[in-house]
Amino acid sequence: MEIRPILSAMFRNKLGAILIATQIAVTLAIICNGAFIVYKRYQTMNRPTGMDIENIFAITSEGIGSNHNARAVAAQDLEVIRAIPGVIAASNASSVPLSGSGWGETMQTTLDDNAPTTGTGVYMMSDQAIETLGVNLISGRNFTPDEMLYRDENSGQIPNVIMITQALSDQLFPDENETALGKTVFFDSRPIEVIGIIEHMHGSWVTWDALAQVSIIPVLTLSNQTRYMIRTEPGMRDQVMPQVEEALANVNSQRILRQLRSLEEFAARSYAGDNTIAVVMMTVIVLLVIITAMGIIGLVSFLVNQRTKQIGTRRALGAQKFHVIRYFLVENWLITTIGLSVGLVLTILLNMYLVEHFEMPRLDRIYLPIGLVAIWCLGFIAALGPARKAAHVSPAIATRTV
Amino acid sequence: MLKMSNISKIFRTRLIETHALRSFNLTVNDGEFIAVTGPSGSGKTTFLNIAGLLEDFDTGQYMLDGEDISGLPDKSRSKLRNEKIGFIFQSFNLIPDLNIFDNVDVPLRYRDMGAGERKDRIESALENVGLSSRAKHLPAELSGGQQQRVAIARALAGSPRFLLADEPTGNLDSLMARQVMELLESINDQGVTIIMVTHDPELARRAHRNIYLLDGQISDLEEVTQLPLNQNQSQSQRADHAAI
Ligand SMILES: Nc1ncnc2c1ncn2[C@@H]1O[C@H](COP(=O)(O)OP(=O)(O)OP(=O)(O)O)[C@@H](O)[C@H]1O
Ligand SMILES: [Mg+2]
Repeated sequence: MEIRPILSAMFRNKLGAILIATQIAVTLAIICNGAFIVYKRYQTMNRPTGMDIENIFAITSEGIGSNHNARAVAAQDLEVIRAIPGVIAASNASSVPLSGSGWGETMQTTLDDNAPTTGTGVYMMSDQAIETLGVNLISGRNFTPDEMLYRDENSGQIPNVIMITQALSDQLFPDENETALGKTVFFDSRPIEVIGIIEHMHGSWVTWDALAQVSIIPVLTLSNQTRYMIRTEPGMRDQVMPQVEEALANVNSQRILRQLRSLEEFAARSYAGDNTIAVVMMTVIVLLVIITAMGIIGLVSFLVNQRTKQIGTRRALGAQKFHVIRYFLVENWLITTIGLSVGLVLTILLNMYLVEHFEMPRLDRIYLPIGLVAIWCLGFIAALGPARKAAHVSPAIATRTV
Repeated sequence: MLKMSNISKIFRTRLIETHALRSFNLTVNDGEFIAVTGPSGSGKTTFLNIAGLLEDFDTGQYMLDGEDISGLPDKSRSKLRNEKIGFIFQSFNLIPDLNIFDNVDVPLRYRDMGAGERKDRIESALENVGLSSRAKHLPAELSGGQQQRVAIARALAGSPRFLLADEPTGNLDSLMARQVMELLESINDQGVTIIMVTHDPELARRAHRNIYLLDGQISDLEEVTQLPLNQNQSQSQRADHAAI
């Protein structure tokens, strides 16, 4: 191969090559880090929630007037909802997981002042909580109807029993052989018995690192505002949602129904920021790839035009078309490779900067080889067009131009 | 070694057709040194391009070393150019970004030839034209005559049987032109067949045979004497030629 003469010709026309190599270096740094950011965001957004997220929705009922029997209303509403075809289960819910709002509480295993406390997201639901959320109870048992605590809005009363997630159990009892099941723990400094362990479930605040430390207690708070969560047969959600709204309106018109929203929509709103960042990053990557490809096409076309006579001369001296194509592809490959080697350093520096200032994780190493190969291919494809044009220069150019 | 029969070449543009060669016939024997003269636009370069496989022709037959050229694919034509034919151009056509050594190397790179053999060939070709000491220079650092000698070294490095030169001295002063001519003569003495287009009647006279092109056809004196009908016309053209 003719790498040495290509290099020496390149070094005599440095400017274009340097510009494109620089562009390639920057492109590599941005697309590697950008793709990593996009991946991390989507990974976060697509974490398993533990729930049957696709088939759950919520609705809030707000009673009008003062003589409002919340317990009776809730009982009647749930009965009406559960009677609608396609509904698997329904429960009152103090707040909606993944929604960004909820109730947080502290838990401890002893009341010792020095005992470590653990945070948990708490959901007050009914004995249909497990079926409604579609979570997996891996040990223990569900609530029974008579364990339900009906309490006033301002009462701090708590029930006797609680179900918690495995993650919360592990946090409370780090010892591998120990489980929270059957133990009495302290919930807001008051004793409560853990009767069931849920395999996995996400709470309300998607950026909280204790997102999976969730607990459910059998409570209905008696106020004029009650929220319901409903789980439907697969694929029936969108059909059932308006039916529930209509049924609730029919059974009792003394209220306002609001926030009829699917769990997916709650999640999408909570992850809107992540989604925006991912979309913006992908747009930047696509634009950068296009601009770099155009830069390469521009440079190679320029070099081909500038060297028309030289190409004709080479053809006259015996270069076959493939030799001409190879020349420009190799030249472009060298420029790309120089750019990529600078780009590798730049990629790592940019990542270090992001780690330091934006709490980004360290770049997975796999992004570097993938980025390299992607840009090599990009360079090859971009250069191919102009290189083939070069091969069409007639050898007669050698004698026809001065 | 070269036989053209009834070759014609027409350049078509949107407005006009130019008959650059018309029913062109020529036989060149091994070892000949032929000078081609003729007025501007008479088809000299076209002839040379066709002879050197740089350009296609429209009709006729061209045998090179007994091989029929018409219909050969581009790859075979490139190989023939590379192995059998050396080119020398009026404006030298050295590659400005490569030094002298690498310039001479260009045609050798298109052969399956080891680096060692290429180096030997380049060195001996440069020695042949007296420019060994300039191997690391760029073309721009050499005089016109020196550049043309590099181009000759480049043409010779591949040991062609056949050397085509389009006004090789056209851009040189008379002293340099004579040096180049002497070089070509010594190359011819070594058995290389040469066809040279020139405007210089003095140089043309030093060739074995002169071909005078007019309007895409040969009007050769010997042929003309065999065709008395055209004699007067041709002799006047001959006179034209001498006056250039
Ligand atoms: N690519 C082309 N397209 C159209 N016409 C062409 C082309 N090349 C050559 N011609 C025409 O063909 C004719 C012969 O041209 P050619 O270059 O062979 O002449 P020449 O004898 O070499 O002239 P000169 O002494 O000026 O170099 C001219 O009329 C020229 O204009
Ligand atoms: Mg000419």
